[in-house]
Amino acid sequence: MVLADLGSKVADALRKMTRATVVDQTVMNEMLAEICKALLQADVNVAQVKALRESIKKNVDVEALASGLNKRKMLEQAVCNELCAMLDPGKEPYVPKKKQPNVIMFVGLQGCGKTTTCTKYAHLYKRKGFKCALVCADTFRAGAFDQLKQNATKAKIPFYGSYTETDPAQIAAEGVAKFKEEGYEVIIVDTSGRHMQEEALFEEMEQVAQLTSPDDIVFASAFKKKVAVGSCIITKLDGHAKGGGALSAVAATGAPITHIGTGEHIEDFEDFEVKSFVSRMLGKGNIKGLMEK
Amino acid sequence: IWASLKGLVGAKQLERADLEPLIEQLQAQLITKNVAADIGSQICESVCTSLLGTSQQGFGTMRATVRSALEKTLTRILTPSHRVDMLAAAAAAKAEGRPYVICFVGVNGVGKSTSLSKVAYYLKSNGFTPMLCACDTFRAGAVEQLRVHANALELPLFEKGYGRDASGIAQDGVRYAKQMGHDVVLIDTAGRMQDNEPLMRALSKLVTLNNPDLVLFVGEALVGNEAVDQVRGFNKSLSEYSASRDPRLIDGIMLTKFDTISDKVGAALSLVYTTGKPIVFVGVGQTYTDIRNLNVDHCVRSLLKS
Ligand SMILES: Nc1nc2c(ncn2[C@@H]2O[C@H](COP(=O)(O)OP(=O)(O)OP(=O)(O)O)[C@@H](O)[C@H]2O)c(=O)[nH]1
Ligand SMILES: Nc1nc2c(ncn2[C@@H]2O[C@H](COP(=O)(O)OP(=O)(O)OP(=O)(O)O)[C@@H](O)[C@H]2O)c(=O)[nH]1
Ligand SMILES: [Mg+2]
Ligand SMILES: [Mg+2]
Repeated sequence: MVLADLGSKVADALRKMTRATVVDQTVMNEMLAEICKALLQADVNVAQVKALRESIKKNVDVEALASGLNKRKMLEQAVCNELCAMLDPGKEPYVPKKKQPNVIMFVGLQGCGKTTTCTKYAHLYKRKGFKCALVCADTFRAGAFDQLKQNATKAKIPFYGSYTETDPAQIAAEGVAKFKEEGYEVIIVDTSGRHMQEEALFEEMEQVAQLTSPDDIVFASAFKKKVAVGSCIITKLDGHAKGGGALSAVAATGAPITHIGTGEHIEDFEDFEVKSFVSRMLGKGNIKGLMEK
Repeated sequence: IWASLKGLVGAKQLERADLEPLIEQLQAQLITKNVAADIGSQICESVCTSLLGTSQQGFGTMRATVRSALEKTLTRILTPSHRVDMLAAAAAAKAEGRPYVICFVGVNGVGKSTSLSKVAYYLKSNGFTPMLCACDTFRAGAVEQLRVHANALELPLFEKGYGRDASGIAQDGVRYAKQMGHDVVLIDTAGRMQDNEPLMRALSKLVTLNNPDLVLFVGEALVGNEAVDQVRGFNKSLSEYSASRDPRLIDGIMLTKFDTISDKVGAALSLVYTTGKPIVFVGVGQTYTDIRNLNVDHCVRSLLKS
């Protein structure tokens, strides 16, 4: 299960607190320490963990609260709320609309799963009844076009790319224009991997963006804030019993998570919803009741 | 933190209570450098233990003492007891009239195939003729990716397309290289998550069947706590699923994407600490020449830099 390790540790900490006879400052601090440790062990960013601790301490004044039951509820709720807040930047993601072209550009770190996710995304929208197409604007990585081509062919999705053209912006512009003309609704542009320190690659990415004016830019996996990202997709959540990097992605990009990747196959792709994700993570059926104050 | 240490001025035997605040601070520091949390605390604990009962002069020195003890410990961990001398080993195999075989393993997208091409370039630059062997028969474009590298480096490629059993292809590849007199075989494998049992079984089969000279674990410098899970998972699978009584495990580590992490070099420490195996190479970019030896001093300095 996604983030199983982290979820069970946080749930344990909450349970322990529930068992304490009196919930006081000490009990709360112990619980918070345990939760923070679990978050750190799951690769959640240090600053975020600190922020979570401070926020709960500020919002829940255990000494001032009256009865025991109330305190526990309040604390449990505060923890859930904080985890959700971590995952929810409070922005609505871009949602592709029918009967118009929606150009979606995928960007992210090298090897994070962009190319694979492009096809998964196209496949998902195809099933929702959209006319989808893929454009390979990665002229850098060896075999990138073959990879996209083979994936697209298998998923029966039209694609555009070139073995000879070396300018990604050029290919992107051509591909997008072609598919727009042909009435495609979801046009996905795959780009080569890059990281923060590579100014040149970022310039290139901006060029691609300028020439194709995408409706949405999707970041696959965690990334530092650098360009205006519309949405995030967290990949490879299948391997990571820890995987708290997911929790940090939102803070890094300020963009909402729309989907998660849970395997290498085209079907291994799920919609993402903050509350149900957190509730699954904590091994609770439904925490809706807990969430709402 | 420092206020609590004021009473320490003058010669004194160090006690746990004196050291704890400093140790905690260093532990937090290691975490910000991406060292796995458990490993950071184990290392700091051992530094603390080693200092207990030693005598101290004043507060400033105590801080320096702890720091220098940690520095020594980190250097010791990162300096392997044995090195992998690829060129010497390949030359020795050649003298025996057989190819030197390296198998690249690791989770998805970490840089196995790219690292393989960098190692191919390195070996070629040192007078060998490595053959690239395409045993990722699963991921779309994996074979073409290796072909691009083989063409660019003007090196032989052995491939049988997609879908077939990787361990059989590796075996055929090694046999073919021997016939053709290629002195090194570089086996590319498909990425897999450490807890994916069917895929890990298949990898164990490939390694057992081909008994490569070097099983090179490729890991990203970007990982934090996950690093420990990955190498443990690979070693556990290689050992548990092996038909051999003396199973082969990870022999060395190739740490990729070192160029993307600035000073957060913790993965190097976590990986070496967990496996006890050396970092054979570090990947610092996406071209053939972006391959280095790990600079231990630089790494330790980065870990301690606040
Ligand atoms: N287990 C697992 N593997 C994944 C997932 N998504 C992608 N992968 C694998 O991760 C590896 C890298 O994926 P790519 O799609 O090539 O990554 P990329 O971001 O396009 O890489 P570059 O173009 O080189 O930057 C491949 O082996 C994929 O099969 C996922 O959700 N789970
Ligand atoms: N910046 C940087 N990128 C790297 C480095 N090593 C590999 N990459 C990039 O990481 C991405 C994935 O590399 P691959 O070699 O395809 O990774 P892999 O492990 O073979 O991937 P799979 O076979 O799909 O599991 C590519 O875009 C590489 O260019 C490195 O040292 N630095
Ligand atoms: Mg790609
Ligand atoms: Mg590969």
